Amino acid sequence: MTEANSRAGMDRRSIITSGLVLAAAQIASPFVIRARAADAVRIGLDNPLTGTYAANGKHELDGCQMALAEINAKGGILGRPAELVVEDSTSGDAGVAVQKARKLIDGDKVDFLLGNVNSALSLAMAQVSNEKGVLHIVPGGHTDAITGSSCHWNVFRVCNTTQMEANAVAGALVKEYGKKFYYITPDYAFGHTLEAGMIKAIAALGGERVGGDLTPLGSVDFSSYLIKAQAANPDVIVFLVQGDDMLNALKQAVQFGLQSKVHLAGAQQEMEPLEGLPPEARIGTWVMEWYWNQPGVPHVAEFVEAIKKRTGRVPTARTWFGYVSIWTCAHAAESAKSLKAVDMAKALQDFHLPSEIALGPNPVFYRAGQNQLIASLFVGDAQASGSAPDDLFKVAKVVSGADAAGPLEESGCKMTWPT
Amino acid sequence: MTQVVLFNVFNGLIVGAFYALMALGLSLILNLSGVINFAHGGFLALGAYLAYTLIPYVGFWGALIAAPLLTAALGLVIERVLIRPLYGGDPLYGLLLTFGLAYIFEDVTRFIWGAQSLPFQLPAWLTTSLSSQFFFVTGYRVFMIVVVVAAVGALFAALNYTRLGMRIRAGTRDLDTVSTLGVNVRVLRSLNFGIGIYMAGLAGVLAAGLLGLSPTIGANLIMPSFVAIIVGGLGSLLGTLIGGLMIGVASGLAAVYFPSATEAVIYVMMGLVLLFRPRGLLGEEGRLH
Repeated sequence: MTEANSRAGMDRRSIITSGLVLAAAQIASPFVIRARAADAVRIGLDNPLTGTYAANGKHELDGCQMALAEINAKGGILGRPAELVVEDSTSGDAGVAVQKARKLIDGDKVDFLLGNVNSALSLAMAQVSNEKGVLHIVPGGHTDAITGSSCHWNVFRVCNTTQMEANAVAGALVKEYGKKFYYITPDYAFGHTLEAGMIKAIAALGGERVGGDLTPLGSVDFSSYLIKAQAANPDVIVFLVQGDDMLNALKQAVQFGLQSKVHLAGAQQEMEPLEGLPPEARIGTWVMEWYWNQPGVPHVAEFVEAIKKRTGRVPTARTWFGYVSIWTCAHAAESAKSLKAVDMAKALQDFHLPSEIALGPNPVFYRAGQNQLIASLFVGDAQASGSAPDDLFKVAKVVSGADAAGPLEESGCKMTWPT
Repeated sequence: MTQVVLFNVFNGLIVGAFYALMALGLSLILNLSGVINFAHGGFLALGAYLAYTLIPYVGFWGALIAAPLLTAALGLVIERVLIRPLYGGDPLYGLLLTFGLAYIFEDVTRFIWGAQSLPFQLPAWLTTSLSSQFFFVTGYRVFMIVVVVAAVGALFAALNYTRLGMRIRAGTRDLDTVSTLGVNVRVLRSLNFGIGIYMAGLAGVLAAGLLGLSPTIGANLIMPSFVAIIVGGLGSLLGTLIGGLMIGVASGLAAVYFPSATEAVIYVMMGLVLLFRPRGLLGEEGRLH
């Protein structure tokens, strides 16, 4: 006889009831607020902790926690202890990101909102933070619109724009490798603007686009695109895909032996995918937005040691983004001597980061009228290992942000302030 | 242009063979036990991560043998404890359970091994290209085909020439009668589940060499497996095999002409099959009552 539908002790009714209770608990949770220190300054972090961008989100969180510990050791923000409230925005669900942003602002009454790794989610969250008038720092969402056509007075961005990254690397590629470029681009906001930026920067130097493919986000097999790329006979194949997509694409390109026929490069690279690649696939010319191995630059070594002690690994650019974001909140409050968003936003216009936070060779500041952090860009080549097992990038040139960023008018940002 | 098309068809067959391996394990479990195993991707990821952990101790070949076995062992435990109580009931319960398990697996792998992608090291001689003309035929892809052919061959041989296989095939037709004839149906379902999960673990080890090793690897690969089963036909293992190859080739061709649709094309195929031949190409009518 086939198994009877029996479960000792549990009948259908009790299962359905417990299911309903669980569901109700989920829906009710925004209203169940844990007791918090009444006078703490709260910073809300709405970033991916699961999904494709989980690693990036985790490293930004590490940087945030490092900064928070330092701030509280120095007496907090405006004399009050600072607290971080962390929510998982997921890696791609704008609905969840917006819901969590509202929960942080309305429920937890945060004074600052931070997020998101995903450019599209950043834009969605920026609508909410602007509607509610909360100071919003975007640590690592790159699409130009955030401080461009969709800029807001209350939204500040730490990482570079896609155009800045393109401008930084284009010169090196055209000079060293040739004029024919094939693009492998992720099919969403970030990819489109990055490719547009690259095409513009390359064209200005006499290069041309011989072909390209828009790949769905989360593609696992890039062989078809690589076959097409090779058939187009370019000098350089430009990989604009990020995260796991970058990892798969590069791994497969190296397995095909493409690097002996064509130069592999891209506009944005991070430690996270490089660490996930087998050593023979750590090749190509890229731009990094911050790198841990900066000999001779003050304060960097201490920061790297502190992060290593806290997390057991070297900081990545994402760690630095999170670190800068939290310290920006503290400095904004201290400069404005208030937690009112408009006052803090005004205080951040043309604000220069102190060198122990800038952690780079050039001045780092928020450009007035755009709220974009102008930082340095590190152009170089990936390597299997360098001076240390996690020295995976050989910096050839540090481009100052001021040189890579175009004039303010080109950004398309028309900022309006509340009256 | 024809060269690009031919390359992509050939490459699509290679990728399709891999999808077929995943889908076969899923199909085995579905046919006999009626359980829609959404956690199949989670087992795949687990197989990949276990292989990653074992490589420093037993090397790549040892991990290739051991990791699927360990994954299958875990599958047996889960079958006994969680899935057995749901047999004979609404297939929806099995689906809900395995759906939840999929999330649990993803978070557990993230918790144990980190959210970071991990470098999966293959033996060097496997990762080089075999010919300059057909540069996309790497040693690893040929190796994958060999493993898939061997696994599928072994599966079909076991199903057709061993007593266990005969009982499984009989069980998919009429489990009540098989039970009446004195076969221990509980053990049969457990072993069948174990074989299915072994295939998932094996697919995981192969996937880790081809793709990056991250907690979301299972979630990315589970959907093509379901589509392969639907296209090839519920209830037919040969259909699942053909379904996997077809969607691999379809994806490859889409990448040539219409890259944004490489994922969409397999769902379009599924939609067409459901519209015009709901039981799939080689499937049986009324498989899920």
